[in-house]
Amino acid sequence: MSRLTQEERRQREAIVADDAQFDALLEAAFRVPVPEKAPAKRPGGSRWPALVAVAATMVLAAGAWFGLRTVDPVHAVSPLGPDIIAHINHEPAALAVSARTVPEAEFGDVLQRGGASLGGPIGRVSYAKLCPFRGQMVAHFVVQGEQGPVTVMLLPDEESSAPATIDEDGFKGTIVPLDGGGSMAVVGQPDEDLEVIRDRLLQAVRWKL
Amino acid sequence: MKARILNLGLRRRYEQVVGALRQDLYRYALWLSRDPQAAEDIVQESLLRAWRGFDSLEDAGKAKPWLVTIVRREFLRFRERQREETMDPAVVAEIAEDEADPRVQELRTAIFGLEETYREPLALQVLMGHSTDEIAEIMGLTQGAVLTRLHRARDKLKQAFVEDGIAVQVETG
Repeated sequence: MSRLTQEERRQREAIVADDAQFDALLEAAFRVPVPEKAPAKRPGGSRWPALVAVAATMVLAAGAWFGLRTVDPVHAVSPLGPDIIAHINHEPAALAVSARTVPEAEFGDVLQRGGASLGGPIGRVSYAKLCPFRGQMVAHFVVQGEQGPVTVMLLPDEESSAPATIDEDGFKGTIVPLDGGGSMAVVGQPDEDLEVIRDRLLQAVRWKL
Repeated sequence: MKARILNLGLRRRYEQVVGALRQDLYRYALWLSRDPQAAEDIVQESLLRAWRGFDSLEDAGKAKPWLVTIVRREFLRFRERQREETMDPAVVAEIAEDEADPRVQELRTAIFGLEETYREPLALQVLMGHSTDEIAEIMGLTQGAVLTRLHRARDKLKQAFVEDGIAVQVETG
């Protein structure tokens, strides 16, 4: 029994006789849909070494280079400081004393949309949002320090070649370059021990390419 | 400090090059492996390798064949480790049907059924836009062999397209 009618068959014969028409269909056939996210692993089957799963993100670990380095005690003042503090002041809810812990999935989503991921613990996150900053959407979150909330902003497009300080409007902080590019701002109360938090973040934050 | 800045520039260049090709690299890996999960894994591992070796890429114009070659090698590694056939006809059917035009659906199914020797050069030509010369270099073949395979691949697909039913059966071995 024929699947195609005579007319359909004639049409198809005309298509295969015309290279341009046939190749257009062929190209459409090759352009299969591309998943936005990696499909879920099939149950029961690890067919590929765990290394590959780990490699899902390009590991541009923040890192060791900074933590292990002898830091010059005299840091330049960051030109981004006023913008960062203005942004913090613009979102007072972020610094409100809150017992809330941002759910892991929600925080992960903010990081992902901000082009980053975490490779280690950073403590309780009480606020996380993707925010506009100097024309880019960046991950802005708050972790809890000893003295109160500490704001963290991951700035993939802000180049910084050395650590710089922020001292504005009652806040103190630092902007440090991240390995692989961009930088991270860590801002808290003047009496907060930001170095501990900064180093923990440097160990954990990874850019995703 | 200089190294930081250089690294930043390198990363930007890498993102630019890879960002433009990522989707087609996935498609190429899928046509090689016929398995979406494997294609994801292959591309992810390939991009990691590409990043590690990116500073050795001197000519950005050669980025595409360079990346295609990395994906191809990664697929070959994957196949070596593969102990059993993983192509799932249901997955193939799902991918084929993710297309409104039934003619394209049928062609997609037929391409999945082509032997790898025909499927790969056709993907490199039609999907990746490589010349026969480039395909010969990527696959380690003569240009004549590539032309023959491309011709036969098209013939098989044309035959499947006009004959009743999909003449090319999905090869599972």
